[in-house]
Amino acid sequence: MAEKPAPASAPTQCVGPTFRAVADKPSATVSAVVSSDNVYVLPQTPQLIALLSMIRNKDTERADFIFYSNRIIRLLVEEGLNHLPVIEKNITTPVGRTYNGLMFQGKICGVSIMRAGEAMEQGLRDCCRSVRIGKILIQRDEDTALPKLFYDKLPEDIANRWVLLLDPMFATGGSATMAVEVLKGRGVPEDRILFLNLIASPEGITSFAAKFPRLKVVTAFIDEGLDEKNYIVPGLGDFGDRFYTI
Amino acid sequence: MSQLESHVTVQKRAYYSPPWADVSIIAVAGSSGSGKSTLSQTIVKKLNLPWVDSFYKTLTPAQSKLAFANEYDFDSPEAIDFDALINTLRDLKAGKRAEVPVYSFAKHARLEHTTSIYSPHVLVLEGIFALYDPRVRELCDMGIYCDADADTCLSRRIVRDVRERGRDVEGCIKQWFAFVKPNFEKFVEPQRKVADLIVPRGIENRVALDMMVQFIEKKLFEKSTHHREALARLEVRDRDEPLSDRVVVMSEGPQIKFMNTILQDIDTSAEDFIFYFDRLAALIIEQALNNVQFEEASIETPPGYTYNGLRPKGEVSAVIVLRGGSAFEPALRKTIPDCRTGRLLIQSSYSTGEPELHYLRLPEDIHKHESVLLLDTQMASGGAALMAVQVLVDHGVALERIVLATYSAGKVGLHRLMTVFPEITAVVCNLLPHAEQRWVEKRYFRC
Repeated sequence: MAEKPAPASAPTQCVGPTFRAVADKPSATVSAVVSSDNVYVLPQTPQLIALLSMIRNKDTERADFIFYSNRIIRLLVEEGLNHLPVIEKNITTPVGRTYNGLMFQGKICGVSIMRAGEAMEQGLRDCCRSVRIGKILIQRDEDTALPKLFYDKLPEDIANRWVLLLDPMFATGGSATMAVEVLKGRGVPEDRILFLNLIASPEGITSFAAKFPRLKVVTAFIDEGLDEKNYIVPGLGDFGDRFYTI
Repeated sequence: MSQLESHVTVQKRAYYSPPWADVSIIAVAGSSGSGKSTLSQTIVKKLNLPWVDSFYKTLTPAQSKLAFANEYDFDSPEAIDFDALINTLRDLKAGKRAEVPVYSFAKHARLEHTTSIYSPHVLVLEGIFALYDPRVRELCDMGIYCDADADTCLSRRIVRDVRERGRDVEGCIKQWFAFVKPNFEKFVEPQRKVADLIVPRGIENRVALDMMVQFIEKKLFEKSTHHREALARLEVRDRDEPLSDRVVVMSEGPQIKFMNTILQDIDTSAEDFIFYFDRLAALIIEQALNNVQFEEASIETPPGYTYNGLRPKGEVSAVIVLRGGSAFEPALRKTIPDCRTGRLLIQSSYSTGEPELHYLRLPEDIHKHESVLLLDTQMASGGAALMAVQVLVDHGVALERIVLATYSAGKVGLHRLMTVFPEITAVVCNLLPHAEQRWVEKRYFRC
């Protein structure tokens, strides 16, 4: 069993379909709530909680970790794409009915923060087949202990695109903050950036959302907080290691 | 129409009886070699009906020895397991699946495996003592006795036993005079008196054969008419009532609306259609999985913290309603790669529009699965869905465990389904005011 118990602040509630009586629904720890208007948390469905439980569990094998994190990432991307602008389009169906539908306006691209963010590229491609994907490498500078940009390769016309910025774990948010600065430096307006994230710390995501009030954050879960080593509590460990090397 | 007010919920429950719920049983009795097997098989072939074979008792070692020496009396009612037969017939009469033992004449023993019979509309029960037990006669809709000359019987029997059952001629003759003939006089012949129809000259009797086929066809037609009437009656009730809260309609965010626009546009390319259908189907399945049962699970994360999460309570399997439902399979494999999957083919009759069950393969232990997802692309009148749920019920799946997931459904059909089976959950992407003919599977499979 775990040595450190979960802080009492973790919100716990019964999860399940609305038609089921509360007594028939299991209870689980759900995402914390933050007051930022530009942070969107996925609906806390029992299925999402079960998927998160799989990838959080230290005993989950790498193959399962990859499979279940991909499923969550697809849900994240589907939700993220909901925030893009649309125009109306009426079409005729194969049975002759008229459907008042819609189309997307504008172009998109993905930008992954290496290396954990690259693990989200497959989920993005599952939804957007031929999407362009840029990469940014940010590492901690040994001398200053601050994040430093080592490499970037982005689509040339990125200033004209909506950017889906990918990074699964958000603790203090040093890398994500620097990545947004890089994108803004390339002429991407702040309101055209969507940050897709799996698990965030409440303090980190709140200050990030306040620093960039016009971008949007879509996350699957906001955890309880950070520990003394700045790890997310309860978190899931190092996402990149669990996805790529362990 | 029969209707019950449930005391637990205010939901009104309607009753649906599938066409196989009241199977007609036709018994064919007669002496060994009288041509009853040939006659029955001809009927079965002409009408494409299932076939019930022998219900001989398993022999004790001593009896088995006698049997191999051709000294065991197979032609006495004692050799027949009437209790097992009656249980099977009663299950079938109740519309349930029944396991029929398989008897090996070469080994004189019941084999390990059984054949399962499910959902026949008419059943032909053939055997020398088919009309012997009054309990069997009570379950039968028609009793036929095949009459034949004793010489013909003996010669036919020798040919059959030597050719098909690996006996020698001497053994056959020994059996004839020791058992068959005395038993015939004692047990078989009296059945003439209780039969509805006596057919002389067996298979050569074309007139009798045609009469029987006609009778069965009439029975089938009556059943089909009653089934269609019952479906129509279910449709007219409660059209304007709100849908059950167990119907989960997916909220139409911009992304789902965008995918719908592409899927429903008649000008969309096949490549795009398949891609976007797979993508949307994955979301429908994720949504369906939110309605299965979970249990609490406390887990430890790598840094050593505890998380109070959930895990599925048990196995989730799927049943595909062919052909449409198989468009969900790529999405299902993406979500539960090793999901055990049953399949059933229901087609609407071209002439009458009546849904008919043509093919069925389900996991043996499906009644033990925690949840069963029932997948179909579209629901129009709900006739196929009603039948599919009834099939699961007949195989022991509790209604609360069934989650039906579909791309689109007409409101009337869905309402009808939920009135008959209020305990199931239905997940629908598009709820349509009117029923619509099936087009999704044509687009997905391109034919």
